[in-house]
Amino acid sequence: MHETDRYYIERCLDGPPDDFRYLVRRYQAVLLANLAGKLGSRDSAEEAAQETLVRAYFNIQKLKKPDSFFPWLLGIADRVAKEHQRKQQLQRQREIVRAFSQDAPTPELSQDYALESAIAELPDAYRKVILLRYYGGHACNQIAERLDMPLGTVTKTLSRAYVMLRESLQQQTNEVQK
Amino acid sequence: MNCPECKEHLVPYVEDLLEESRKRSLIEHLNDCPACQAELRDLTQLHDRLVANGKVLSQSRLEDNVLDRILREQNVRLKATTRAQAALKLRRFIMQTRISRLAVAAAVVIVAVVGIYSILGGSTVTFADVIKPILNARTVVYDFILGDEENDPVIMHEMVVGSRIRRTISNLPGMTQITDLETGKMLALNDVDRTAAYVNIKGTLQERTANYIGFVRTVLMELKDSPDVERLGEQEIDGRKAIGFSGRGNNNQQLKIWADPKTAVPIRVELRLGQLLVILKNFQFDVPIDYSQVSMDVPEGYKLEEAEIDFTKGTEEDFIESLRIWAEVLLDGTFPEAIGTENYMKQMPLLGEKLVQSGLSVDEAGKVAMALPRGMFFLQLLETDGKYHYAGKGVKLGDADKAIFWYRPEGSETYRVIYGDLTVKDVTPENLPK
Repeated sequence: MHETDRYYIERCLDGPPDDFRYLVRRYQAVLLANLAGKLGSRDSAEEAAQETLVRAYFNIQKLKKPDSFFPWLLGIADRVAKEHQRKQQLQRQREIVRAFSQDAPTPELSQDYALESAIAELPDAYRKVILLRYYGGHACNQIAERLDMPLGTVTKTLSRAYVMLRESLQQQTNEVQK
Repeated sequence: MNCPECKEHLVPYVEDLLEESRKRSLIEHLNDCPACQAELRDLTQLHDRLVANGKVLSQSRLEDNVLDRILREQNVRLKATTRAQAALKLRRFIMQTRISRLAVAAAVVIVAVVGIYSILGGSTVTFADVIKPILNARTVVYDFILGDEENDPVIMHEMVVGSRIRRTISNLPGMTQITDLETGKMLALNDVDRTAAYVNIKGTLQERTANYIGFVRTVLMELKDSPDVERLGEQEIDGRKAIGFSGRGNNNQQLKIWADPKTAVPIRVELRLGQLLVILKNFQFDVPIDYSQVSMDVPEGYKLEEAEIDFTKGTEEDFIESLRIWAEVLLDGTFPEAIGTENYMKQMPLLGEKLVQSGLSVDEAGKVAMALPRGMFFLQLLETDGKYHYAGKGVKLGDADKAIFWYRPEGSETYRVIYGDLTVKDVTPENLPK
């Protein structure tokens, strides 16, 4: 569990998917947080996270730098999320047509949907750091090493991300109260 | 420490990254500054909220689902690869001749007709009444069965009008062939996708081909005045009372004919030709047949395949190629339990299926489809004489030590022996496999 991504990726390249399990474990929370914010429900996020991981597994030989597994995975997740959003949109349109007189069922939200959607709205660089810190179980110095930036930049990025998250959360609260 | 400095250091403070001296001065500032205290509180709250959410999501059990999906997807891909490999294998068999898929059905029937010619033995009988309808009818309709009638037989339904024959085949639904024996041409129709093709059966095939009724007529004419026909007496045949006659050719070939004892109308004809058994039954004589049913013109709405299919020969090479296809494509690398016309014909739909799955183009598939009937044609020439031996049951393709087939070509001293790796050797009779 404490091996590098590269170690597991190389083992996946050689054969059965057993070692992919560790990468799933490592990144599932990151993916879920990222996707739940974009897709709005825990179920959709789980489905999309699975899809992302399966795609990653089957395309792993295309990953040129095994050390960039994380940003690469996020890239796949973003594409999957977009596809899901398009699907959801179509479905909603169909549902509206089908039952315009009825109230649409409220989508089942994950535990902290407000927070997750605020994370999803963060610019890429900030989102990455937040995801690694809280959903990837990384300490600040590990993030620095991983993203190849000075420790000071990591804490400054975090600091800026907190401000944005708080603004975003505040805005959501205001909207609810309106 | 002032407020902007303090704010700058709050994150490192929360993350416990500050040196002792700096930490102390930050705490001092915080004690005196309610604004920064509030900032820290907010920050810590958000931090805790993120930590909590992160913990919840980390407890998900995605991995089993993901692993399941990967394994399932891998299986799907594996099957696709196997299909691609099968297509590759099939491509290797593609021969030069351009031929449509129609040829599978077309070739089958032509070949089935071939063997009958050689039954002409020297027996006779006086059963003129029984054979009169067969000899004189202008139209004859009957079912034609190859091999074991009890065991899922291939049945061909045939209409004979003069030199024209219209056929359909039970295990190739939607396929119709109309043959003109005079010109040596066959029109093959695929009623499902409405395509048509002309098949050339000139040469060896045309010489050896007769329609069954024509052939039976010839046999009966020769047997008519012979004293050797045996009376088989009355029996129940196909649910009816029938009287039977039997004649024997000089190569252990046998003809049995059963007829209604009162009207003398034939009910059933059995022909045993070496290792091939043919049954004709459900006869109808002189029923009116619309001539358009045996027309050699392409029906309206059918698309004619451009190239004519040439089916004028079947060689030892064709036969070996057909064995290779049978083992490698139809049976996963093992030779079939038994060969012979009947077994070949039963493979035709499976070959069709495999060709469809393989993703080969219609052209390519047609070329492969040709190999099996050509091989069958070659075998049938041997079959009617009963002069071949098959020992391929359970032998793996590529096994060079096992002989799977041998026969003696006409006029040859030695035998041709085909081995599991599909090489052929000439072998003297005393050295034949036991």
